[in-house]
Amino acid sequence: MITLPMYLTVAAALFTIGVLGIFVNRKNIIVILMSIELILLAVNINLVAFSVYLHDVVGQIFALFVLTVAAAEAAVGLAILVTFFRNRGDIAVDDANLMKG
Amino acid sequence: MSLQAVAFYLMALVSVVSALLVVSAKNPVHSVLYLITVFFSAAGLFVLMGAEFLAMLLVVVYVGAVAVLFLFVVMMLDVDFVALRQGFARYLPIGGAIGVILLVEMVLVATAVAEHGAAAKYAAPLAAGEISNTEAIGRVLYTDYLYLFEAAGLVLLVAMIGALVLTLRHRPGVKRQNIAAQVGRTPAKGMEIVQIKDGAGIPE
Amino acid sequence: MNLSGALSLALPELVLTIAALLLLVVGAFSKKAISMVSLGAGLALTVAAFLAATGPAGMQFGGSYIADNAAAFAKVFIYGFSAVAILLGDRWLKRLDNQSFEFPVLIVIAALGMGMMASAGDLISLYIGIELHSLALYVLAAFRRDDARSSEAGLKYFVLGALSSGMLLYGASLIYGFAGSTRFDVIATAVQAGAQNGVLFGLVFLICGLAFKISAAPFHMWTPDVYEGAPTPVVMFITTAPKLAAMVLIARVLIDAFGDAVEQWRQVVLAIAMISVVVGAFAGLVQKNLKRLIAYSSIANIGYALIGLSAANQQGVASMLVFMVLYMVDVTGFLACLMALKREGRPMETLADISGLFRQKPGMALVMTVLSFSFLGLPPFSGFWGKFFVFRAALNAGLWPVAVAGLVLSVVAAFFYLRVIKVMWFDPAPQGAVAKEPVEAKAVAIVAGLFSAAGIWFALSGLDHLAMNAAAALSQR
Repeated sequence: MITLPMYLTVAAALFTIGVLGIFVNRKNIIVILMSIELILLAVNINLVAFSVYLHDVVGQIFALFVLTVAAAEAAVGLAILVTFFRNRGDIAVDDANLMKG
Repeated sequence: MSLQAVAFYLMALVSVVSALLVVSAKNPVHSVLYLITVFFSAAGLFVLMGAEFLAMLLVVVYVGAVAVLFLFVVMMLDVDFVALRQGFARYLPIGGAIGVILLVEMVLVATAVAEHGAAAKYAAPLAAGEISNTEAIGRVLYTDYLYLFEAAGLVLLVAMIGALVLTLRHRPGVKRQNIAAQVGRTPAKGMEIVQIKDGAGIPE
Repeated sequence: MNLSGALSLALPELVLTIAALLLLVVGAFSKKAISMVSLGAGLALTVAAFLAATGPAGMQFGGSYIADNAAAFAKVFIYGFSAVAILLGDRWLKRLDNQSFEFPVLIVIAALGMGMMASAGDLISLYIGIELHSLALYVLAAFRRDDARSSEAGLKYFVLGALSSGMLLYGASLIYGFAGSTRFDVIATAVQAGAQNGVLFGLVFLICGLAFKISAAPFHMWTPDVYEGAPTPVVMFITTAPKLAAMVLIARVLIDAFGDAVEQWRQVVLAIAMISVVVGAFAGLVQKNLKRLIAYSSIANIGYALIGLSAANQQGVASMLVFMVLYMVDVTGFLACLMALKREGRPMETLADISGLFRQKPGMALVMTVLSFSFLGLPPFSGFWGKFFVFRAALNAGLWPVAVAGLVLSVVAAFFYLRVIKVMWFDPAPQGAVAKEPVEAKAVAIVAGLFSAAGIWFALSGLDHLAMNAAAALSQR
């Protein structure tokens, strides 16, 4: 029998790995973007699991919108990354000392 | 163990391990491939829960579009990825510690929600009813959630405008095909008949 | 569902959507019509503000869209400040030879997203509203794509914004799982039955995600860098409309959906508020760059607004709204001054740049002095009234330790505004002539200065009345 907490645990693990990925890969923006996708996937697993166990389709609608927005977010993020790369020839953000952080 | 349980543990394990590999792989191309694996196994979990429509959407949108977009960018940008891994080992202990604490808390909350939350009154997931999952979503998406559906369309429009305004460049001096001009060309405009006198040459 | 009734309620959004789509097509096909597109966008925003102010109240689209006094109050100012951002930004970009029709279109769509936030009645419309305006803002921050600082600002804003959206969503999913619905009114019923730890855990995640959006400390890391790197008109936009929208949204979530869990969330909000005020006051003291100074000032001021909100009653919410509006006017005027002033073709961005400004541009120096006095809360100016309302609400709600601490810290923060004034009036001016100010930036600056110094005496009672009505709509249940 697969219970709700089992799905939520998988989602929690993916969320944690996503946050961890942002922490440890501070310089590599591409991996940071992928970590953000992992976080959004974790949220989607949460939403779908709740939706199924609540017998309520709204959670899946929410997940559908999260999916849409995540795709848009990836597109905008990569576009900004490309302009950043064109200006600096690099994608390392920690090194960017044009502005003091 | 039932077949379902075997499938769940297999896909859960694959997705978590691949997610770890996404954030720790040395080569970002490998990261993208692991990301695809995570999405595939997550889609498997969705199917297991009875959310087929979202499972297919996950494969189409993420594997088909987002992951390929990532691959394009990784390969297009000529970046020294080894240098970008500096600090990985330095941040790993603190990041790992925070991660473990966060994970334990979230699992506790997940259990609490399952026991005391609104879902507690249903023991089992929704059994497949008369209408399919896709139909159930379709029935409300274009009626009750019309407002949000349109707004999501605008989000995609913003992404499109943003990607174009940031990255599209018209370089001067590049010859492009102008279809309107080609189609609009008539024999009268395209041809000029000149009478040439002997030895006079062609006047400019 | 009665579609025409629903659409008539959402008329401001409808007008803005159609305007954005039309202007996009006009801009794409006619290269010379950029100023026309900006004008059209400004007109559409004005019409939408009018419709929002006069439209009927109600709830539609399955509870995901609420039109009430609070939403109307927020929308009028959101759309108004967006129109000012278009006015300033279009001319500013034109002077840099970077004018493009996407700028007004993106601002209109961002304003639409902020309107959605102000009208959000469930977690899904909350999320889509936030993302709609955030995505447009990320692009606007990176809008000068040939400027390395602008793209860096866009990138930092994007990464931290996306992370905060992830946290917010995780919280939203837990709230949904606990309460069994995404609608605020259903969540409120579930919370009334007894707020369990699960839903509060979700709420903390949600508050953290929203705190990123209003750049409250300790989630403020992006603010100084983004403010310094992004184009100045975009900074003006980011500081004003999105923050009001997010504050109204926070008020709606906390008071409408979680009104019965006040004791639990008040501690979190007060902690965020106090950290913001402290960070803003002390970090602002060492800044040399005026845009970074504005960034820290905005962090501190969000802290004051949150103090007002944590009173958690009608007076508290109303004081927060009045405070936000008065602060938005001041910051718009100040940034318009920075847009107007140029020395030897370089915009004035640091304290050294504006030294001795009084001798070269007495008018602008006077406006900046008035606005600085208003920021620090000196009595005759508008900023004083904002702080007065906030502290009064906090005292009436029995939060006197917070009010006293806030008052002390605003004295600390006064130093950095006084330093700006001292540098302008008493320091020697550097070499180089100051260019003539562009008309529109000067006009906006002067109007803001006049409002702050004199107009407030006529507007205050009306503004307070409107804010009280708006707050009443939130604390109805």
